Amino acid sequence: MQSAPFNYRRLIIWLGRLLLGGIFIYAGFSKIALPNSFYWPLPMLKFSISANLSNFGYQVASYKMLSPAGVNFVSHILPFAEVLLGLLLLIGWRLRIWATVVSLFMLMFLTVVTRAYLLHMDINCGCFATPEPVSLKKILEDSSMALLAILMTVFAYQEARKPHPWSGPQVPPPATT
Amino acid sequence: MIRRYLLASIASLALAGVGSLSLMGAPAPQKAAKSANSASKGSAAPAQASITVDGVKDIDPDKAFGSKNAPVVMEVFTDFQCPACKQLYTTTLQRVTDNYADSGKIYIVHRDFPLPMHAYSRVAASYARAACHIGKCETVESALFQNQEKWEVSGDVKGTVASVLTPAEMKKVQALVDSGSLEPLIDHDKQIGQAIPITQTPTSVLRTKDGQTYPVVGFVSYDVLKTLLDQLVK
Repeated sequence: MQSAPFNYRRLIIWLGRLLLGGIFIYAGFSKIALPNSFYWPLPMLKFSISANLSNFGYQVASYKMLSPAGVNFVSHILPFAEVLLGLLLLIGWRLRIWATVVSLFMLMFLTVVTRAYLLHMDINCGCFATPEPVSLKKILEDSSMALLAILMTVFAYQEARKPHPWSGPQVPPPATT
Repeated sequence: MIRRYLLASIASLALAGVGSLSLMGAPAPQKAAKSANSASKGSAAPAQASITVDGVKDIDPDKAFGSKNAPVVMEVFTDFQCPACKQLYTTTLQRVTDNYADSGKIYIVHRDFPLPMHAYSRVAASYARAACHIGKCETVESALFQNQEKWEVSGDVKGTVASVLTPAEMKKVQALVDSGSLEPLIDHDKQIGQAIPITQTPTSVLRTKDGQTYPVVGFVSYDVLKTLLDQLVK
């Protein structure tokens, strides 16, 4: 069997899927399961998740960009969406669609973090469960991830136009008379 | 198709790995209780008379609220310059005091945990502690949290405290701060917190009479905290 030829576009796609997929899963999971981690009995698990989402909601509110209803919506949806998107990237199902969504998420994160930095807001970025101040380092991290997400998306579209390297030889259509 | 299943398996393994790492990092309730007690034993006794309630040692009675016979003791570790602590104090803790401490269901203990990253939090803790010792705890703590954004820029903690006290009260507070006699109490609160260990502020540690300990880390809204408090005070 012939192996797939080395292709830098495919390498970027794989890197993007593995790195961003892993980071998105961890980011979402840490917001749901940390810093409070009571797992039993069931009411304690429910309290733990609610407390963590409440803590994340406070971090979202500290950006001062959303109404209380908006903060509530984002804090209860975003962590689960991050886990789902991370899994979809790793699985690779409908990659072009989910890579596009991840790129939009990354651009959104980069925008709000940069805005907070430029406004000298002394807040935690809310990226993961552990408190991290909004800083130039955080902007650089987000920029790198956004760039990777965009490259992954563009290359995923480009590669989709070409035949898959593992597919058989192209059979020319039968000549018509 | 096989490749998809393979990737799905890798993803599940990665998720399970992250989950188990988090579980390993989480402090078990019983462990937290033991370490807090051992901290109390190992460190120097505070300068002021302290009390013990339900096994919770070294409580400064001037910074505690509610009935000592309450079924739950809630220790709240805060830093006056931390924005999340301000949010917890102004939106959650005041309602908990009104609805649970004042009715004897919870005994609330305010613990100082000034972080080195905040330039004025230690000074604020000193003034707040001194105010508590002349019976003006709530007034001064409230003023410090409410005006946090002002004094953290100007550094004028003293002015903020003076604005809510009479000149005579402020004179007493300033004398206590200048004497340095309250500093060991702040250090001791911090040692207790480090032994739990407190990893971020605010952290509220709830202890029941049967010895269970529940550290609640970070900001938590009143409605969410209420669900836990109602279970514990039953």
